[in-house]
Amino acid sequence: MDGIHDLGGKQGYGPIEVDDDGGPFHEDWEGREWGIAQCARTPGITIDWWRHCRELIMPVDYLGRPYFDSWAQTDFSTYIEAGWMSLDDVAAGKPLVDGAEHGEPPAPMTLQQVLQEDHDHAIRFDGEIEAAPAFSVGQRVVTAKHGHAGHTRLPQYARGRSGTVQAYNGAHVFPDLSAEGTEIYQHCYNVMFAAAELWPEASGSKDKVYLDLWESYLAQPDLG
Amino acid sequence: MPDFDAKKVAEIHEHLHSHLPSESALRVKALETLLVDKGLVNPQTIDAWIEAYTEEIGPKRGARVVAKAWSDPDYRQRLLDDAPAAIDELGYLGKATAHLKVVENTDAVHNLVVCTLCSCYPFSILGIAPAWYKAAAYRSRAVRDPRGVLAEFGVDIDADVEVRVWDSTAELRYLVMPQRPAGTDDMSEEELAALVTRNSMIGTDRDLGLE
Repeated sequence: MDGIHDLGGKQGYGPIEVDDDGGPFHEDWEGREWGIAQCARTPGITIDWWRHCRELIMPVDYLGRPYFDSWAQTDFSTYIEAGWMSLDDVAAGKPLVDGAEHGEPPAPMTLQQVLQEDHDHAIRFDGEIEAAPAFSVGQRVVTAKHGHAGHTRLPQYARGRSGTVQAYNGAHVFPDLSAEGTEIYQHCYNVMFAAAELWPEASGSKDKVYLDLWESYLAQPDLG
Repeated sequence: MPDFDAKKVAEIHEHLHSHLPSESALRVKALETLLVDKGLVNPQTIDAWIEAYTEEIGPKRGARVVAKAWSDPDYRQRLLDDAPAAIDELGYLGKATAHLKVVENTDAVHNLVVCTLCSCYPFSILGIAPAWYKAAAYRSRAVRDPRGVLAEFGVDIDADVEVRVWDSTAELRYLVMPQRPAGTDDMSEEELAALVTRNSMIGTDRDLGLE
């Protein structure tokens, strides 16, 4: 989706607010939302569907509202879309169906349990597939010229560009389909692009940009 | 189960735009209230997650990993070869680090990490990302004008140093290993860890000082 989220290389966002006090949260509600996002899971959700729902936030809100606010709105949207919450519930500020409609509430977790859970949630996204990788390290590749209306992880700035496979990452869950609820694995590569290939003002630069890209985003360069 | 219906979600966002309170604190409160009232979330567990990422999980973990790699050549090699296993030697494997890669700064190379498409970050080793990392200015410019970005952080990169920008487009996450400052040969791992800044592990800091 060529949405507002696809920010790489866009211009006009001004200087960076580099000052930061180093603390994790600056308002209480930011911590609350972080905590909610760690323990509230819409059943059947995938990380890519959650990301896509965040991308679908109206541009004025995506850019204009604070970061963790967009997480809260994404959580609202995934619960409502899946039918676990309704717009009427939101309007009323309380569930309109009485009682614990989704079973017993979860027991509280202690700090030690949460730390263990964090450790246990080192989720791997790779798996075995039968097909051999189409590309090898050192090979030149060209990226797809176009994206599509759904979720994808090939940013606009790196489309239709030539790069070099720098590493093979294994087969990883393919985000474009995972965002539609289908989890299949596809070979994934780290691809190096010369800055001069990506940006007109970078001609002569020795700098590089590296992206992790799935096989179907890539093709062999036209040798003709 | 989600229907994975993007059109429906776009409509929900439009509705929420008009119907949620405008203050972020009230929006998050509304979400928490509904989730708790529906029995989907326990508020004490939310408290525990806040405490975990305020007191326990943060950039001090990354700094300890870097200091250990500076002090122990074998550990440094294990970290470069298989970062998830190496950080788990210290118990730091966790959220968003199962596919961690460590990229090393040298006299000739400077590394910088960004996520242009969202805000991917190696949580279990660096904690919560700073605000600038998640903001449009950094996300848009890091891949296109890394030297200009670094200058705003007060980091000037010599023309003969190659800048490598890592855009976190997949589930891999990147941790920059800064260079060990000169004059630190006698320092303990603990003393060394105190020199490692969070920004240096993202790449927006380069020359670590002894202050």
